[in-house]
Amino acid sequence: MVRTVLPLSARETAVEVLGLVPPRVWLALFIVIFGIVAGYAVEVINRRLLERAGVPESTEGTAFERTAREFGLSTVTIIAKLSNYFIVGIAVLTALSVADIQYTELFWGDIATFVPRLFIAIVVLIVGIVVGDKVELYVAERLRGIKLPETGVISTVAKYSVVYVASLIALDQIGVATLALIVLLAAYAFALVVLTALATKDLLAAAAAGVFLLLRQPYGIGDEVKVADRRGIVQEVDLFVTHIETDGEEHVLPNHVVFRDGIVRIRN
Amino acid sequence: MSTLTDLLDDVVADVDGVFLFSPSGSFHQRFREADVDVVVVDTENAVDADTFVELPLEFDNVRDRIRFGVEGAIENGIVETGDAIACSVSVFDDDDADSVIRVRATEDMGSGIYDLFVDSRAEPGVIRDVFEVAIELGKKGQKGKPVGALFVVGDAGKVMNKSRPLSYNPFEKSHVHVGDPIVNVMLKEFSRLDGAFVISDSGKIVSAYRYLEPAAEGVDIPKGLGARHMAAGAITRDTNATAIVLSESDGLVRAFKGGRLILEVDPEAY
Repeated sequence: MVRTVLPLSARETAVEVLGLVPPRVWLALFIVIFGIVAGYAVEVINRRLLERAGVPESTEGTAFERTAREFGLSTVTIIAKLSNYFIVGIAVLTALSVADIQYTELFWGDIATFVPRLFIAIVVLIVGIVVGDKVELYVAERLRGIKLPETGVISTVAKYSVVYVASLIALDQIGVATLALIVLLAAYAFALVVLTALATKDLLAAAAAGVFLLLRQPYGIGDEVKVADRRGIVQEVDLFVTHIETDGEEHVLPNHVVFRDGIVRIRN
Repeated sequence: MSTLTDLLDDVVADVDGVFLFSPSGSFHQRFREADVDVVVVDTENAVDADTFVELPLEFDNVRDRIRFGVEGAIENGIVETGDAIACSVSVFDDDDADSVIRVRATEDMGSGIYDLFVDSRAEPGVIRDVFEVAIELGKKGQKGKPVGALFVVGDAGKVMNKSRPLSYNPFEKSHVHVGDPIVNVMLKEFSRLDGAFVISDSGKIVSAYRYLEPAAEGVDIPKGLGARHMAAGAITRDTNATAIVLSESDGLVRAFKGGRLILEVDPEAY
C-alpha cells in the first residue's frame, strides 16, 4: 500500500507544482526550444545553400577566410552560426515578451529592435571584408602583367574602398552617426572621378573616335593614307591608336587626332 | 676503372649552367642548392624559378626545344656564347627528364627559332596562336581530307600592298582575332579557299583569299616544296612578316622568316 501511495502523492505534488507555473511560461519555454531547433535547422540549411552557391570557392584565398581558418572556422560556418544565434536570440526575446516579465520590458524592447540591426551590420561587414579581399586579389591578378611593384598600392586602395563602404553601411545600421564619414566618402569618390577624368581625357577622346573608326572603317589595314601631314600605309587600327608606317618609320597616332584632322586616302 | 657514372661525369664536366626543360617542382628543388646556374625552360614558370626561358610551344623535337632554350638564354644574357651547358630533357618520357645533353652555346647554335617567336614584328602570342591553329588544322584536316593553308603574320599593311584579292574578302569589316574561341572553326571552313590569310601584328585577321605577289628572287627554301611554300618564303623576304604554312602534301607546319625556312613541326606529334 505504502509503496503505491508514495509515488501517487509525489505525482500529485509534481502536478501541483507544474500547475503553479503560469501557462505563459510554458509557452515561452516552448518558444525557446523551438527557436533553438529552428536556429540549428537554419544553420544547417544556410551552410548547405552557401556551399551549393560556391561561396567556399569564391572566398578561397581571401585574408578573411585565412583568419577564420586559424580559429578552425570558415566564412560559411561563421555566417551559418550567426544566423543560428540570430534566430535563437529572436526566440529568447519573443519568449521573454510572451512570459510577460514586466520589469524587463523596457530594456528588452530596445534590444529587440537592436539585435536584427546588429545582425545585418555584422553580415554586411563580413560580406564587405570578403568582397574587399576578393577585389584586392582580382586587381592584383589583373595588374600582374605590369611588372611594377608599386601597382600593389592600387589593389590595397581598392580593397579598403570596398571595406570602407561596407563599414559605413554597417555603422549606419546600428545607428552610429556616420555623416562625417559619408562626407569623407563623397570627397574621396569625387576626387577619384575628377582625377580619373582628367588623367584619361585624351584616352577617352581617342576611344570615342576609335569606336567610330572600327565600326565604319573609313580606311583599313594596307590603305595608303595621309593624316596630320604623315603619309604612309596603315598597319594597325585599334581602339586608341592608328599605326601608320612609312619607310622605316612607324607613326602611332591617337585616334582623336585622326578624327580631328581628317583623313586623306591616297588612291592610285 | 670506368663505371657507368663516369659516362655521365664526362658529359657534365665543367659546365657553366644547367638547363632544366619542364622540370617538376621537386626535381627543380634538388638543383636549387647546387653550385651551378640553373635555368628553367618551360611553357610556364610553374616552379617559380629565378631564371626562366619561356617556351612558346611544347616542341616535340628535342633539338628545337634545346635550340630555343639556348638561343633565348643568349638573347636574355643568361649565358654567354662559348659557355658549356648541360640540358636535362625528356625525349621519350612525357613527364620526367630521361636524358642529359651537353651543348655549347654559340651564335649559330640557334637557327632563329627564338627570334621567330620573340623578335618578330607580330606579338609572340599571336605567332603562337597561329601556330596552334595551323597544327590543329593539320591534325584534323577538312572533313578528313588534308588541307593546306598559308598564314602571313605581321607587317599586314605591306603584305596587303604586295598582294591582291582573289575574291571578296570574308573578313572585310570584321574584328576577328586569332586566339578568339570561334576562330579555329572559322579558319577551318575558310581553309578551302585558295590564297593566303593575312594577319596583323596584333592578331587581327585582315583578309583571306589573298594572292601574294612578292618578288621571288633570292629565296632560299629547300627544293621540292610547292608554290605555297615559295610564296611564303618570298613574302617574308620582301616584308617583315612571318609566314606559317601548312603543307597539303606532307602535312607539316613550316615557318618562314626573312626568306628562310626556320622551323618545321609535325602536327601529328602534338
